[in-house]
Amino acid sequence: MSSLIIFIIACIGFAQAGWAEVSDQQVAQLNQSVQRLSQLVEELQGTVQAQQQRLAELETAKWQPAAPVPTAGQAGLSQQAAGSLSAFNPEIGVLADIVGQVSESSADGEGNDKISAREMELVFGHPIDPYSRLDVTASFSDFEAANLEEAYVTHWGLPEPLRARIGRFKPKVGKAVAIHRDSLDTVDEPLVVASYLGAEGLSRTGVELSGFLPVPWTAVTHELTGGVMEGGVGEGGTLFGSIRRRPSYYAHLKNFWDISDVANAELGATYLTGSKDDDADLEVQALGLDATLMHYVTPTNKLKWQNELYLQERDEAVSVDADAGTETLFRDTPWGLYTLLDYRFSPRLGAGGRFDYVEPVDVDPARLARAGDTAWSGYLTFYQSEFARWRLQYRHTNFARGGDDNTVFLQGMVAIGVHKHQLQ
Amino acid sequence: MNRHTMLCALAGLAVLSDPRPGAAAERVNVVATLSTFGDLVSTVGGDYVQVASIASPKFNPHFIEPKPSDVLKTKRADLFVHAGLDLELWRWPLLDAAGNRRLFQGQEGELDLSQGVKLLEVPTRPVSRAEGDIHLYGNPHYWLSPENAKTMAQAICDKLSAIDPQHQDTYHANLLAFLAQLDRKIAEWRLALAPYKGREVIGYHNSWVYLMEFAGLKMHHFLEPKPGIPPTPQQVQFITQYITAQRIPAIVQESFFPSQTTKAIAKRTGAKTVFLCQNVRELPACADYFAMMDYNVSQVVDALGQTAR
Repeated sequence: MSSLIIFIIACIGFAQAGWAEVSDQQVAQLNQSVQRLSQLVEELQGTVQAQQQRLAELETAKWQPAAPVPTAGQAGLSQQAAGSLSAFNPEIGVLADIVGQVSESSADGEGNDKISAREMELVFGHPIDPYSRLDVTASFSDFEAANLEEAYVTHWGLPEPLRARIGRFKPKVGKAVAIHRDSLDTVDEPLVVASYLGAEGLSRTGVELSGFLPVPWTAVTHELTGGVMEGGVGEGGTLFGSIRRRPSYYAHLKNFWDISDVANAELGATYLTGSKDDDADLEVQALGLDATLMHYVTPTNKLKWQNELYLQERDEAVSVDADAGTETLFRDTPWGLYTLLDYRFSPRLGAGGRFDYVEPVDVDPARLARAGDTAWSGYLTFYQSEFARWRLQYRHTNFARGGDDNTVFLQGMVAIGVHKHQLQ
Repeated sequence: MNRHTMLCALAGLAVLSDPRPGAAAERVNVVATLSTFGDLVSTVGGDYVQVASIASPKFNPHFIEPKPSDVLKTKRADLFVHAGLDLELWRWPLLDAAGNRRLFQGQEGELDLSQGVKLLEVPTRPVSRAEGDIHLYGNPHYWLSPENAKTMAQAICDKLSAIDPQHQDTYHANLLAFLAQLDRKIAEWRLALAPYKGREVIGYHNSWVYLMEFAGLKMHHFLEPKPGIPPTPQQVQFITQYITAQRIPAIVQESFFPSQTTKAIAKRTGAKTVFLCQNVRELPACADYFAMMDYNVSQVVDALGQTAR
């Protein structure tokens, strides 16, 4: 390489001699170029020597088994984290769900015709030990008392690959029920979920086991979940009665298919059974079906089509009012569904729509104007950042009892701190 | 279905579920968060590893939504390779869902590739989200410096040897071959980049600092006004003026960010838009680590060469 440099310098010298008319400025530029090349050659020589030395060391050194794996406290960034007692503090996050709502309803309900702090979630979580983890979510509102939404232990210490949850949690049934409000695509819960399971979804105390089925194929994964939970449902729900000491049971089979790198589909089936009154009989059974298709049109444009259907078998008895001399026959097989289409068409904007239909449980069909409630919703979402988003939603509802309602929602959802939900 | 049937169904879960995760495979079952890590593991592990990666290289690695199939892969893995730091915040819910305790932090089956890497842009003062999606521990895109690839490959070799000691000689030989080729390529890349040392380019997102340091280039301004915040009109105006005033030759971005804004600025200013690979297989030309770096270097050289002052 040094010879090459000398040769280049010599050439430049000859060139200078032969071209007497070359300007001083050009000569200076050439000199600078030569100097840069010389420096580069020296750097490269040093690099080659260092690399050769390193190779020689590696080749001659007797190969030893690897040293113990560096743990969190041994190197790099984790030194600070693991070296401090604060590493043992739980992850803490706060979510604020602010909703402004204008509707034709005259009821002084939650958020009606005002802006409300609908829900402030305080989220804690941390591993307890190598076998388990605790997650706690307490929610506060300017309309309701404080509520323990979730407080459950996830246990991995069971025979592999089973996983258990025990405590108060959102059971894995369907799609919308199992997720927190801040992860919903709409401001409100789908009508069928709100009507049957609770206006804010379902959180119950119980125990749940889940595991993947050992199938020989890999294109589709199957996860089976089963659980026992206290009786009752969420606020305003009508699926089960309100007696908490009568347990309800549920199972969910999730079938997930990776169609391609950019598309996947999920088909799920849910079974729920519980009591509608204070006896131990399981008179109510419900079958849920869910189907979700996800397609990433581009890395930032995502299309989601999500559907859920719930069918009930209630074994309702005839209610007789002897004084009035009337009979009421509730529906034995009410059902409801929703279909939702959501499209994220840019990093900051998304839009979607939802159709709802649900048949009421505890109303004499003879008194209804139509078989069930129907609703049409449309929304626009602005993603301010990863931690804040705004959503404008319009919903038109036709009630089974008669009449209709138009509601406009404006929602702001922000998160601070560590905010991690379990995977869906 | 009555209560007894439900209880039987619950008990049946234990029977139905696979009791031997990963036992069927004789190869070391590795799950890597990023395709680049998966490629390095394949290079070092050769025929004795089976590698799956979670994040598709065509997507922003910060915002991956792990799928049930990813959970199952992780549940059955012997080794989980990740970037550490706070790049893949989605890895924690993934690990929780998988419940594979061998892969938890500090366990034998976990490999944090940031260990031993010289990190850049480590905050030296308290930070907050007011600065955008800032990284608490330093810029996490360290694999784009080939010098760091040496450290990463060495760590992978050490870990595979610890998990699967009977094949450690093969892992070591593969490592040596990789390092030798890498050294040759580093010299080649440095030579190609040398004429452009000190030149400045614009980035879309602050994910190229390690590549820029290796290339001897500067990147001080980004289309994102703050990390993770999409370009705003004010920022676009500033960048346009800056490129014009400073005669910046190129705007560098990943393929998974929207390109309309970049192209519009490029059209207005005459700067080149350069799409580089952040990870292996992000673009067809980036089939493995060497191909990715070859492609990135050649794209930068082409862009700067065309606009040499």
